[in-house]
Amino acid sequence: MINFEKFELANGLKVIVHEDKSTPLVAMNILYMVGARDEDPEQTGFAHLFEHLMFGGSINIPSYDEPLQKAGGENNAFTNNDFTNYYLTIPAANLETGFWLESDRMLSLAFTEKSLEVQRNVVVEEFRQRYLNQPYGDAWLKLRPLAYKVHPYQWATIGKEVSHIENANLQDVKNFFKKWYAPNNAILTLAGNCSVEKAKELCKKWFEPIPSVNLIERNLPKEPKQTEMRRLEIKADVPSDQLYLAFHCCSRYDNDFYATDLLSDVLSRGKSSRLYQQLVKDKKLFTDIGAYMLGDLDDSLILIEGKICDGVNPKDAEDAVFYVIEELKKGISDKELEKIKNKTYSSLLFSEMSIANKALNLAYFEMLGDADLANQQETIYNSIKSSDILSISNSVLTKENCSVLTYLSNHHA
Amino acid sequence: MLNRINAPELTISGNLEIVDAIVDKLNNGTPYITTNSGTQEVIKIDLVFEAGSAYSTHPIIANTCNRLIEEGSGKFSSAEISEMLDQYGSYFVTEAGNEFATLSFYTTGKFIHQTLPVLKTILTEPTFSEEEIETYKMQGKQRLAINLNKVDFLARRNFLNTIYGDNHPLGIMSKSEDFDMLNKEALLEFYHNNYRNKLRAVFVAGKLSSEHETAIKNLIEELNFNHSNINNVVEDKILNPKTTYINKKDSIQSAIRIGKKMFNRKHVDYFDFSILNTILGGYFGSRLMSNIREDKGFTYGIGSGLATDINDGYFFITTEVGSNVANDALKEIYFEVERLQNEIVPEEELNLVKNYLFGSFQRSIDGVFALSERHKTLHLNNLTAEHYLNYISRLKSITADDIRMCAKKHLEKASFSEVVVGP
Repeated sequence: MINFEKFELANGLKVIVHEDKSTPLVAMNILYMVGARDEDPEQTGFAHLFEHLMFGGSINIPSYDEPLQKAGGENNAFTNNDFTNYYLTIPAANLETGFWLESDRMLSLAFTEKSLEVQRNVVVEEFRQRYLNQPYGDAWLKLRPLAYKVHPYQWATIGKEVSHIENANLQDVKNFFKKWYAPNNAILTLAGNCSVEKAKELCKKWFEPIPSVNLIERNLPKEPKQTEMRRLEIKADVPSDQLYLAFHCCSRYDNDFYATDLLSDVLSRGKSSRLYQQLVKDKKLFTDIGAYMLGDLDDSLILIEGKICDGVNPKDAEDAVFYVIEELKKGISDKELEKIKNKTYSSLLFSEMSIANKALNLAYFEMLGDADLANQQETIYNSIKSSDILSISNSVLTKENCSVLTYLSNHHA
Repeated sequence: MLNRINAPELTISGNLEIVDAIVDKLNNGTPYITTNSGTQEVIKIDLVFEAGSAYSTHPIIANTCNRLIEEGSGKFSSAEISEMLDQYGSYFVTEAGNEFATLSFYTTGKFIHQTLPVLKTILTEPTFSEEEIETYKMQGKQRLAINLNKVDFLARRNFLNTIYGDNHPLGIMSKSEDFDMLNKEALLEFYHNNYRNKLRAVFVAGKLSSEHETAIKNLIEELNFNHSNINNVVEDKILNPKTTYINKKDSIQSAIRIGKKMFNRKHVDYFDFSILNTILGGYFGSRLMSNIREDKGFTYGIGSGLATDINDGYFFITTEVGSNVANDALKEIYFEVERLQNEIVPEEELNLVKNYLFGSFQRSIDGVFALSERHKTLHLNNLTAEHYLNYISRLKSITADDIRMCAKKHLEKASFSEVVVGP
């Protein structure tokens, strides 16, 4: 249970405060509702590149990091397909430094050529390190365009290709900022040793003078229903074969989200789950296998990914996964349902251990429509029945709704 | 008009409160340390054993024993054990280093009575069945094969081998064949010698009612494990520094590791060196990050660190850079090291680092699990909370000249080994 208070500034910035006097720190989280899905198909990777540029100095303050570190603070950020999130933790006595820095970069950036040039290189190296220079690192780069034909989820947050990042220019960067970085497109949360009064006073001082913008309504194409199985085989210089199955499913906003999430848990939450026990332990077809739901804000995916044992035919491994799926459709026992609900209960508890996580959770659920959803998750998950899960598995876990990516190792050809 | 140019005034209090742990002993003398705070009904029990890789000549038995301990025990199969843990949202995290092996058990207040008996059977009667060993071999061999295709993995293990050699647990480079030598008898023997007979300490953390506390303590008492407090010091000598290039064809990035054997937190220069390390590569604004990432754009990340354990420690610089700029990056790394030896750190930068480290320390004791980790470090190193107070006081008193002296003494380029893995 996270207690909080919520208020909105005149410029549309939503603010949520969770006061916790037991810590000497405050976590400050700012979520901007812009992600890779909002990019131009010819300029992908931009939301993430932009996140890097947010650290390259703002309109009145040449460096973001230095003053924050001097105040004893630490920060980071991440971008995904739907939103971009910035967070810092700082000793409570210096909280105003966080307000000063975050409000200035919401107001405007410095937009220097030097910063853009350096961060283009940094992001290209990130692209190489995480996606290109790792075995199976490019799986998502291949899988997304296989599963999505029209929706922008067809590209990864890092971008479709390195050249999109290399070609980014300063004017594009400025336009992106103007379009998305504004108080009425953001949620600010504070968790820790900060009272609501103090938060109001600081918000009024630092954030309220920032003008809002006219937000253009997002109008993204809906991914048409997939009607037959799609396949991609990659022969690669990797040590062993790997299998990825992607099934289209509902968005995070949909009521079916919870049953879909529990469906992925039945498949793979914990070592006792169906996929791991049957395919790793009993049949010894995979050395590891897992399933998860992405939980995107638009129509999303359930992923199953497994490392195939050496010497096992990838087709047999794939058939075995579908066998587990068909068995699941026959029924889930009460005990199994109770198990995944208990697992959900404990991971909700463990997810509320730090002030930084509490701040992020509140911002995330406010983005979904109401911060109080953070406190309703347990009840909602508990209301799901096994028939709900079965009905999702019947409609989602089918071959015609599936994209299959297989890496075939050329080491044992 | 709001002044957005000037920074708000800062307050660096410099006063620190470290909540004491409750230090107790079990009947057999095992230290039993409790950190009781927090708002969430979560519980973590850490059991620390003298069961790291230094306790066997077999390169991977310590790790394997640590991983397989929860894969079946007594009359329960591995599947049944997993089922009983998952049923109540509880789980194990296991870790084996070169000195200690740790079993961490996570559970919730709500289900503690259902899960403690499972913990007991796991700890007291693991079976190490042939079937589980076979599965583990397959998994381990495949994991190793994948890792051997990663430049950072190759750089790390070759670097440790260079500074520790083939006979030190940190320096051993495991091979696929090592897995073939695993068997049930050897695992059971290791378990008996190093788990049942060498329980070093127990750490309990979370929001604990007195009923929980009693139940946990009773359970640990009932295990009837023997306590031990002997450090198995592996004899090792300083090896000559060496530069190694490892070819990984078609690699578009090169992994770099540079460093040397250093010392642990009991060394008289430990505080000074850790502050020096922060300036060099220990935080986002460090010299290495500022130059090699934020000015040159050669890398996504670069850092340095001092890895310490009870007997030992080593210093390392690590990065992955575009292969085309690997030589330029090396040049800049040494440039930054030498600059710290030859020039005084500007007062402004030193103050920034001091403030940053003070804030970092506050973060590192925030939350019951984080606090418990600090208590664990202190206890296993035979230190008291005074160690941290001394650190804070050194943080206040250290001067730019102390930093330079420390760099002169410990960061001689000629003492470094260097490993580059690239095309």
